[in-house]
Amino acid sequence: MKAAPPAAEPAAGDAYLVARAREGYLDAYELLVQRHSAMAYRVALRLTGKHHDAQDVAQEALIAAWENLDRFQGGSSFSTWLYQIVTRRALNKVTRGGDARSLDLLPDLADPAMEPADKAERNLTVDAVTDALLALPFPQRTVIVLHHFERLSYAEIASVTGATEPAVRSHLFRARRALAKTLQEWK
Amino acid sequence: MPAKTPLDAISLPCGADVDLLLEQAAQGRGADWDAHQQACAHCQAALGELTALWEPVAKAAAGPVSAPPGLVTAVMSQVRRLVHDIWYTLESTELGAVRIAARTVAALARDSARMIPGVRVALGRSIHGEVAAAAEKATFGHRHPHAAVGVLGRTAVVDLAVAVGYGDPAHQVAREIQRHVTATLRDQAGLRDVTVNITIDDVIDGDDGR
Repeated sequence: MKAAPPAAEPAAGDAYLVARAREGYLDAYELLVQRHSAMAYRVALRLTGKHHDAQDVAQEALIAAWENLDRFQGGSSFSTWLYQIVTRRALNKVTRGGDARSLDLLPDLADPAMEPADKAERNLTVDAVTDALLALPFPQRTVIVLHHFERLSYAEIASVTGATEPAVRSHLFRARRALAKTLQEWK
Repeated sequence: MPAKTPLDAISLPCGADVDLLLEQAAQGRGADWDAHQQACAHCQAALGELTALWEPVAKAAAGPVSAPPGLVTAVMSQVRRLVHDIWYTLESTELGAVRIAARTVAALARDSARMIPGVRVALGRSIHGEVAAAAEKATFGHRHPHAAVGVLGRTAVVDLAVAVGYGDPAHQVAREIQRHVTATLRDQAGLRDVTVNITIDDVIDGDDGR
């Protein structure tokens, strides 16, 4: 049998990798970290509004997930569980750090291939959304980020936040209206 | 006095709930009119306005955000600190000791296994916890200052968890992995006696697993 080049992307599912990581296969956990680190950082960034805070939150959350892997029941997906840890850590960070307002939310959003004028307009848009998002109370910000940015369903958000689906929907109604009103003033 | 907008009210003159219209617009369905909306100028105007209002959010949400460089490395470095390191001592002479971290041996074995056709996933583990504990007791005198366990000699036990592709001959793939990994550890790590235990614990078909 002839040796083939290594596969670019292992195709194992999260549940498989979690099970192996629990057995002591560190590289199984490394694959999970590679797969989910962008999500952890992205959510933390949108919730805290600061790059350094987001980096701290993402790092702490991924380490906490390793430390608590034995407690992960598998009733939800690994990503849902990680969303939960990131969200809680972000809340702690925002609560401890006071005002989370900052203009460096979504710093990588601008497409390098865009024309400078387009990029400037895009940055203005991002800044406006950033400010509007950070002006929301944390629970409202969380449901907006999880639903409209991360595309989580009501059921998934309920699982992340521990709320009921009707409560999630109700939070979303209030959050959307508040966000839209702020954007209306900006326009 | 600023013009009135849909957001100034709970419902439109036709009775339509503004929050439901905003939900529709925010979900990108502002142009998917139901039977009422097809005949209602209030709803059509409100949906147009709310869609335009929500556009910056949709744009911001669609933008890619990648993890900062070094995040994965920082996390794994911290995780490895939480796990006891195990070391193989390859040589111990008057010039000093040559040691190799067991996780490096595991990584070499894993990467080597991934080269074999039919292997979809290979994860490496160098030694069981109980074996490590026994080794620690036996070789306490050789312990590396930063290591929990030192194992003297050029022998290694490597566990590999492997998932193979559907239809690949698992036993044949396993034998090939054992041969290839043994040769790699002998050539690249200088380990003389290598035991490669293979557990085939999954069969992956096509794009399975995501």
